[in-house]
Amino acid sequence: MATTLLLLTIAIPWVGGLIVWLVGNKHASLQHRIAVAFALLAGGAGVALIPYSSSQIVVNLPLGSVFGDFTFVADGLGVFLTVVATVIGSLAVIFSVDYMHGEDQLGRYYAMVLFFIGAMSGLVLTSNMLLVFFFWEITALCSYALISFHNDDPKAVAGGIKALIITQIGGVGLLAGALLLFAVTGSMDFNALIANPALMPAKWLGIMAFGFLIAAAAKSAQFPFQTWLPDAMEAPTPISALIHAATMVNAGVYLMARFYPAFKDVPGWTTAVLLVGMITALMAAIMALVSNDLKRVLAYSTVSQLGYMFYAIGAGGIYASQFHLFSHSIFKALLFLGAGAVIHSVGTRDMRQMGGLGKQMPLVRAVFIIGGLALAGIPILNGFWSKEMVLEAGLAHAPIWTYIVMLVGAGITALYTFRCIWMVFYGQPQSEKHVHDAGPAMKVALIPLAFATLTSWLLAGSFGKLLGPETLPSHGIEISSLGEVIHEVLSLPTLIALIVIALGLAAWWWRGKLTGLSNALKGIGKAAADSFGFEAINRGIVKGTQSAAEALRATQTGLLNWNIFGIIAGLIIVLAVVIFGG
Amino acid sequence: MNISIPVVASLIILGLLGIGLYALLAVRNLIKIIIALQIMVKGVLVAFILAGRLQGDMATAQSMALVVIVADTIVAVVGLALAVQIRRHTGKLDTTALTTLRR
Amino acid sequence: MWHILIMAGILLCAIMAIRTKRLLVSAIWLAGCSALVALFLFLLGAPEIAVVELSVGAGLVTVLFVFAINIAGDEVLPSHPVISRPLAWAVIAVSALLVGWLLVPGVNVAVPGLPESQLSSTLWQARSLDMFLIGILIFAGALAMLGLLADGKKESVES
Repeated sequence: MATTLLLLTIAIPWVGGLIVWLVGNKHASLQHRIAVAFALLAGGAGVALIPYSSSQIVVNLPLGSVFGDFTFVADGLGVFLTVVATVIGSLAVIFSVDYMHGEDQLGRYYAMVLFFIGAMSGLVLTSNMLLVFFFWEITALCSYALISFHNDDPKAVAGGIKALIITQIGGVGLLAGALLLFAVTGSMDFNALIANPALMPAKWLGIMAFGFLIAAAAKSAQFPFQTWLPDAMEAPTPISALIHAATMVNAGVYLMARFYPAFKDVPGWTTAVLLVGMITALMAAIMALVSNDLKRVLAYSTVSQLGYMFYAIGAGGIYASQFHLFSHSIFKALLFLGAGAVIHSVGTRDMRQMGGLGKQMPLVRAVFIIGGLALAGIPILNGFWSKEMVLEAGLAHAPIWTYIVMLVGAGITALYTFRCIWMVFYGQPQSEKHVHDAGPAMKVALIPLAFATLTSWLLAGSFGKLLGPETLPSHGIEISSLGEVIHEVLSLPTLIALIVIALGLAAWWWRGKLTGLSNALKGIGKAAADSFGFEAINRGIVKGTQSAAEALRATQTGLLNWNIFGIIAGLIIVLAVVIFGG
Repeated sequence: MNISIPVVASLIILGLLGIGLYALLAVRNLIKIIIALQIMVKGVLVAFILAGRLQGDMATAQSMALVVIVADTIVAVVGLALAVQIRRHTGKLDTTALTTLRR
Repeated sequence: MWHILIMAGILLCAIMAIRTKRLLVSAIWLAGCSALVALFLFLLGAPEIAVVELSVGAGLVTVLFVFAINIAGDEVLPSHPVISRPLAWAVIAVSALLVGWLLVPGVNVAVPGLPESQLSSTLWQARSLDMFLIGILIFAGALAMLGLLADGKKESVES
C-alpha cells in the first residue's frame, strides 16, 4: 500500500501535467478543472502516506550495478515535505484558477506546475543520490520555465535565466558529492552513510559536506547566492507562493537536515551552516525593510526565514528547523497568495501606489494580517512557536553573539512586516483605483491556509513523532508531545524575544519620532537597496565570462589546417602522458 | 648496415605518416590534402602487414588491409567529388576559402 | 639492402608528391609511391595485398586523381601556409619521435617464418562481416559520387 501511495504522489501530478498539456489551450476551463483535480488527488495521496511512514525501503527498482537500485523510502522527513508540496501545491493551483483566468498558454503553465509538484515529491522521498540529483534538476527546470512564463517580458526571462544559472552552479556541488559517495562507498544509497558517517574517509566526507552546503545555499537563496530569489518574483504569484516560498527553496533546508547526522562532525561544517544562516537572515531582513515592491519584500522575507532554518540546523536543532519550515511554508504561502490577490486587483506591485486597501479588501486584509503576525512571531500563531524553538536551539548550542544577531533579526522582521501591512492596507489611498476583493477560487485557497496558520502548531507533538526515531533513526529527534514544545518555548529567552519583537512593532508605529535614527542609518539603507553589492558582483561575473569567451574566439578559426594542428597537439599530449606518465 | 626488416618497416610507417600529417598541416590545396591522406593510408597498410607478420597471422592482417584499401579508395572518390563541387561553388580549391566563421 | 633502398624510394616519392607545385605531377609521384609500397608488402610476405594495392593504388586512384584534376583545374595557389612550415615540421618531428619511442623497441624482434596461406578461407568465413562491409562501402561510395557529381551537372546545365 505504501508503495502505491508513494509512487502515486509522483505519478499523479506527472500524468495530470501531461493530460493538461494534451487537452490544448482551446479548452481553458477544462484545463483549469483537470489541473485542480489532479493536484487535489496528489494532495490526498500525500496525506494518505503519513500513516505508512517508516524507515524501511518502500520501492526498490534494481537497475544493475552501474546506477545502483532506485530506492524510495517513506520516512518522516520525506513524507512531511511531500505533504507540504502536494497540499500547498493544490491550494496554489486552486488559486491559479482565478489568478490566471483569461491568460493564454495555460497548458504550459499547469503542465509545468504539476510536473514540479511530482518532482518535489520524488526529491524528498528517494534515497538514491542520483535520483536526488535528477529530481533536483527537474525542479530547477520547472522553476526556470515558470519564472519566464511570460516569455515576451525581458525582465521575466532574465530573472528565469539568473535563477537557473545560480541554482545550477549549486547543483555542481550536489553532483560532486553524489559521485564521491558512489566512488568511495560503491553505492548510491545515502541512508548507509547517514547511519554510519565513518563509511567515508574524513577528507572526502568534508568535500561532500561543503559541496552539499554550496548546493543547498544556492537552491535556498542563502548568502552568497541570494540574488536570484528577488528577481524570480517576475513569476506569476501562485508560482512565487508555491515554488519560491513553500517548496523548492525548502529543498536546500531538506538536504541539510537529511545529511546532518553524517556531516555534523566534519570540522567547521556546522559553524559554516550557522554563519550562512545568520548572515543571510540579517542581510535579507534589512533589504526587506527598504524595498518598495510588495513581492520583493516577501521574497527577502523568505530568504531571511530560510536563514533562520539554516541557523537552527547549524546549531543542531533539526526539529526546530523542520518545525519552522512547516510553519513558514504555510504562512508564507498565505502571504504570497494574499499579495497575489492584491496585485491582481490593483494591477501594480509597488507598495507606494497602494494604501488604504483594507476597506475594499477585508478578507485579504484579514488573512494577510494573520500571515504577517505569524511571520513576526506573535504568540499563538504557528510562526511564534517555531521561531522561538529556533532561537532556543541557537541559545543552547550556538555562540551567544549569533543569538543576539538573530534576535535583532527577529525585531527587524516584525518591523518590516508591520511596514508592509501598513503601506498596503492602511493609511491614505495613494492612487485612485477601484479594487475588488478576492475571487471565489482565491478565497478557497486563502481560508484553509489562514486556518492552518492559526492552528498548525497544535500538531507539534504528532510532527515530532513523525520525525522521531521510528522513521529517522539517526537524527535524534526526541520530541513527541505538544506539551514538551510548549514547555520549552515558555521561558525567559522567549520573553526577551517578545520584547524585541514588540520594539520592532513600536518602531514603525512611532516612526515619526524616530526620524533622527532613520536618517543616521540611511547609509545602510542605500547599501541594502543596492543589495549590498551582490548585484554588482553578478554583473562583474557576467562581464568577465563574456570577455573570456570573446578572447577565446580566436581559437575557433574554421580553418582545416588549424583544426588538424589541434588534433596533433592533442595526440602529442596523449602520447607524452602514456610514455612519461607511467 | 644491418637494420632488421621490422625496423625498416617502422621507419617507413613513421615516415609516411609524418609526411602525410605535415602536408595536412601546411598545404592549402584541397586535392593535395587528399593525396596526403592517401600517403598516410599507405603507411597504415604497411603497419597492418608488419603486425600480422610479427604475430604470424597473415590472413587476418590481409583481410583488414583489404578493408582499409577499399575504404580509403572510397574516401578518395568522395573527397575528390567534394573538391570538384567546392571548385564549382567557390571558384578555388583553397582551404581558407571554406571557412564561414566570420565576426 | 633492398629493403633500405625501397624505404628510401618510398620516402622520396612521398616527399616529392607533396613538394611539387603541379597537381598532375603530384599524382604521378603518388602512383610511384604506391608501386614501391606494393613491392615492400610483397617482400613482407603479403602477396595478395600487394597485388591489390598495386592495382588500386597505382592504377585506380591515379586515374581518379587525373580525372578530378582535369575537371577541377590545375592552378598554382599562393603558398604561405596557415601553420608555418617550421612549426609544422617541429610538431611532426616530436610526434614521430614519441610514436617511434613506443614502436621501434617493441618491433625489433626476429621475424617468424611465413605461414601457409589461408587467406581465402579466412576471408570468406572468419571475416565474412568485413566482406559485407566492403560491399556496403563500395555501394555507398558509388552513390555518393553520383549524387555529388550529378547535382553539379544539372546545375551547370540549368545555368
